[in-house]
Amino acid sequence: MKKQGTGNSKAVSVYRTRMIGSGLLFFLIAFGMVGPFLVSGDPGRQNLSAILSTPGKEYLLGTDHLGRDMLLRLTAAIRVSVAIALITTATASLIGVSLGILAATRGGLAERCTSLLADTFLALPGLLLVLLLVAIAPGSFWPLYLGIAMILWVEQFRMTRALVQPLATSPAVQATRLLGFGPWYVFRRHFWPELQANVLTLSAFGAATAILSVAALGFISVGIRPPTPELGQMMIELLPYYQEAPLIFLQPILILFLLVLSLNLIAGGKIR
Amino acid sequence: MKTLLDIKELTVSGEKTIVHPVSLQVRTREPCTILGETGCGKSLLAQAVMGVLPSELRAQGRIFLGERDLLGLIPKQRRAIWGRELAILPQEPWLALDPTMRVLPQVKEGYMVAGAVSGASAGRLAQATLSGLGLTDAAGKLPSELSGGMAQRVAFAAASVGGAGILLADEPTKGLDAQRWQDIVDLLLQKVADGIGLLTITHDIGVARRLGGHVAIMCEGRIVEQGPAARVLQNPVHPYSKRLLAADPASWEKLGGRASNGVSPVIKAHSLGITRGGKQLFKHQNFSIAPGEIVGVTGPSGCGKSTFGDLLLGLLQPDTGTVWRDGSHPPLRYQKLYQDPPAAFPRSITIGQAVEDLIRLHALQPGIRDTLMDELRLQPELLDRLPEQISGGELQRFALLRVLLLDPIFLFADEPTSRLDLITQQEMMNLLVRCARERQCAILLVSHHADLIGKVADRLLFLGEEAISRDAAFSACHQTSPREHPVYGA
Amino acid sequence: MNQATIGYRVFQAFLVAFLVGLGTFIMVRVLPGDLAYRIAAGRYGYDLVDSVAAEAVRLELGLDGSPILAFLSWFWDLIRFDLGYSLVTGELVRDAIFHELGHSVDLAATALILSLFIGPPLGLLAGFRPGSIIDRLVLASSVVFRSIPHFAIGLVLIMIFSIQAGLLPVAGHGHPLSRVLPALTLALGLAAVSSRIARDAMIKVRESDYYLFGRTKGLSESQVFFRHGLRNVSVPIITYLGMQFVYLIEGVVVVETLFAWPGIGHSLVHAIVARDIPMIQGTAFVMGLMFVFLNALVDFLNRLVDPRERVV
Repeated sequence: MKKQGTGNSKAVSVYRTRMIGSGLLFFLIAFGMVGPFLVSGDPGRQNLSAILSTPGKEYLLGTDHLGRDMLLRLTAAIRVSVAIALITTATASLIGVSLGILAATRGGLAERCTSLLADTFLALPGLLLVLLLVAIAPGSFWPLYLGIAMILWVEQFRMTRALVQPLATSPAVQATRLLGFGPWYVFRRHFWPELQANVLTLSAFGAATAILSVAALGFISVGIRPPTPELGQMMIELLPYYQEAPLIFLQPILILFLLVLSLNLIAGGKIR
Repeated sequence: MKTLLDIKELTVSGEKTIVHPVSLQVRTREPCTILGETGCGKSLLAQAVMGVLPSELRAQGRIFLGERDLLGLIPKQRRAIWGRELAILPQEPWLALDPTMRVLPQVKEGYMVAGAVSGASAGRLAQATLSGLGLTDAAGKLPSELSGGMAQRVAFAAASVGGAGILLADEPTKGLDAQRWQDIVDLLLQKVADGIGLLTITHDIGVARRLGGHVAIMCEGRIVEQGPAARVLQNPVHPYSKRLLAADPASWEKLGGRASNGVSPVIKAHSLGITRGGKQLFKHQNFSIAPGEIVGVTGPSGCGKSTFGDLLLGLLQPDTGTVWRDGSHPPLRYQKLYQDPPAAFPRSITIGQAVEDLIRLHALQPGIRDTLMDELRLQPELLDRLPEQISGGELQRFALLRVLLLDPIFLFADEPTSRLDLITQQEMMNLLVRCARERQCAILLVSHHADLIGKVADRLLFLGEEAISRDAAFSACHQTSPREHPVYGA
Repeated sequence: MNQATIGYRVFQAFLVAFLVGLGTFIMVRVLPGDLAYRIAAGRYGYDLVDSVAAEAVRLELGLDGSPILAFLSWFWDLIRFDLGYSLVTGELVRDAIFHELGHSVDLAATALILSLFIGPPLGLLAGFRPGSIIDRLVLASSVVFRSIPHFAIGLVLIMIFSIQAGLLPVAGHGHPLSRVLPALTLALGLAAVSSRIARDAMIKVRESDYYLFGRTKGLSESQVFFRHGLRNVSVPIITYLGMQFVYLIEGVVVVETLFAWPGIGHSLVHAIVARDIPMIQGTAFVMGLMFVFLNALVDFLNRLVDPRERVV
């Protein structure tokens, strides 16, 4: 009894979801990039005569409690979040996929060692691990980068290992080797086509995790230090003024939500 | 004989018609069997009768169960019939059993459906039914702990305890070995003897033959011929029926059986032995094969037939013994054909691309491809498709093409036709034999199908417990020379 | 739960101790040298500290010996639960954590139970009618709530409830209703995931061969659901709880800070800000252990619901 039908329309809707997500992300990044050209100035410059001003002519998106331009601060914060997400995810994917293929194709000691490493990083909830690292040197970039990359590579590794392991021993790969092809061909024609959609999905989730972690750390005041603007840090700074200036207060929340939403959509609306 | 189920002008259609008007009757004490190949619409017919067609398909016509026309009933009335009057034995018993529920309750609930039975006595009845099927110990097991044959019998029990007067069996012997095959067909015959109406859907001519009764042959959504089994299966009239029945390996003319010509072998094995999963598969196994020769390997499932071929190809290392190859041929000329054609190709690139990659890697003449495609009767447009988009038979021929590009001297064919339909199987085997003869390629053919291997192989190699006795028996009836004699218990 | 799974969880607990121990050990090593003095001060009070006491602490921490030996003794203290004294309050870390843990468990359990009342029922409802309006609503809200971090959910909830309506206490701990907002904050995020899991599982089960076979055996729709649907749907939901605990524990850290809830996560953040190393170590360790314990609980529940043997 074959099941027909739903498969195709599902693929179409996933594709559409991904496209909407990509569009949204592109728009946000473009906003982050273009911001400094719209208004010139320093996101840290205070103007105490115009604190918490509502969006208007002088300040397109208003000012915060210290009279700093929200547009400049938000766009700078987007650049910080996206940059950290990009490098941590790229690092994690590269390491995760390589080690995953190593574990799946070599087996034996290589697999045991890499799996132990992965289990070690899974023993603690990710944010706790990042917190521990950040606590060593608060406010600096390296522990943040290392910590986030360390929690992200594990998922890429486990996915790669799980997908490649059955492939590595499959008749298809055996036949390819018998026909004289080398390991690079096996990777290019057999492993990578199966991996790429999952690497993309996990990278989108990973980028979301990275952005959320950075914001969470900023929110509890142990992340990126002022004066560099960061979304979580902006939220906690603006919290006391939510009654006075709700429009200002909601801006970083909205940006963070849209960033994470776009990445969740790129991941096809799936559950990780 | 009473008519239990009367199908009149039944069609199944989605965007286009898939099953064209079919009329068929199921009577008491006369098994009714629909015989056809993959994709002929026979399973849809069963689903239409049951009322479980996929939502995008609909059935038209009439299906009389006694006085009632099933297609005229509302869904709720139809459901009231399930299990009580009409039961279906599902195609994949393993998938049809709840993976998280033990066997006994899954059988027991059928009794509770029939009503008027309390939980406790339903339990006793279910236990008795299981015992009657030789499944006394299975009651407390989970489906994942059952073998294929056991799962099929459990599904049989669960489907039939509701007391339905008509049983639909959809491919009841799929994937079963010879012994289990016999068991399940006997069970079906028992039901018929008890007065239950039986409609069986199968691709297996043996099943139709053994069930007897009434047989309908189906092709491309139409019943091309129907009548008493003895007549239809012995003297088919319709050209398709003739072709189908002639494709049964039992009816093939003998292709193999050629005496060896005494040429030096391309590959030899001396005293091979291997243990896998803690089980000694074989030891002290000697073997040799000459160019153009076809050696069949048989033995019970799990005796290491495929392992033996993989050892020869160097894909596995033996525990003991050695494999010798004629050093004048490069290793690339020792190749393999796989059981499941789609599993042997990269999934995400077109067949043309896969072939192209191979030609480029070994700097072969591009013209060879087209010559071979002609020879294997493969259409050029297939090159643009992905492996999953073409039929198993075509794909297996591409697999053959792929290895022929390398001009093999030895080919290990591991159950190359077990996933193919009968007619396709026959075509494939003819091609293989031709390839051995014309190209002087030695072929080691593994098959569980005794008829097939008996017709194709020049000589046989038996692996497994009964190796010596079976070997001797085969020697006696086929005067083939020179033989490999496995020695056991050294 | 079989021995292999229990063994794996015990192993995981050791890994937690190792990671936390290593992290805090490095912290001690890289921090400026007056640490021994500060620890001694934390223990005896600033007035009573002299160089002798500091020297004693220095020896105790092995700050002048071989790093490997020092780490081993550090690790040994940790797995014996000898967590030392807070540098800030001088209180025994063990006692402080014991007290805070109660509050955190209270919050986490309330959130989890709340989420189980929201997520899976909505998911099942959607899964019964894939493509319907309910299904689309559940899917959309699942994506939206998964995209708002817990603290942002908390902020918005604070805005809506406490100020506009004055219905619920915003922060602190004391009023019985004060747990509602922080718990709801966490529960919404959890339910966003569990509703989706339940929906996908329900669809998969309803399309399965065994579900169809249950129907054709003659069971009614509700019989099929209760006999063959419910248990098979619960398996992925429970399995996913394990993953959700990551979210829960991370959430506890941030949400407690936001709502000034006197739990262990709040205390961890304070300790990091104050560089109170024994406290960082103790809270991180206990949270890690809580995570392991919850996962073991999931193993146990799974075993209860799904009779199949599973290997971790």
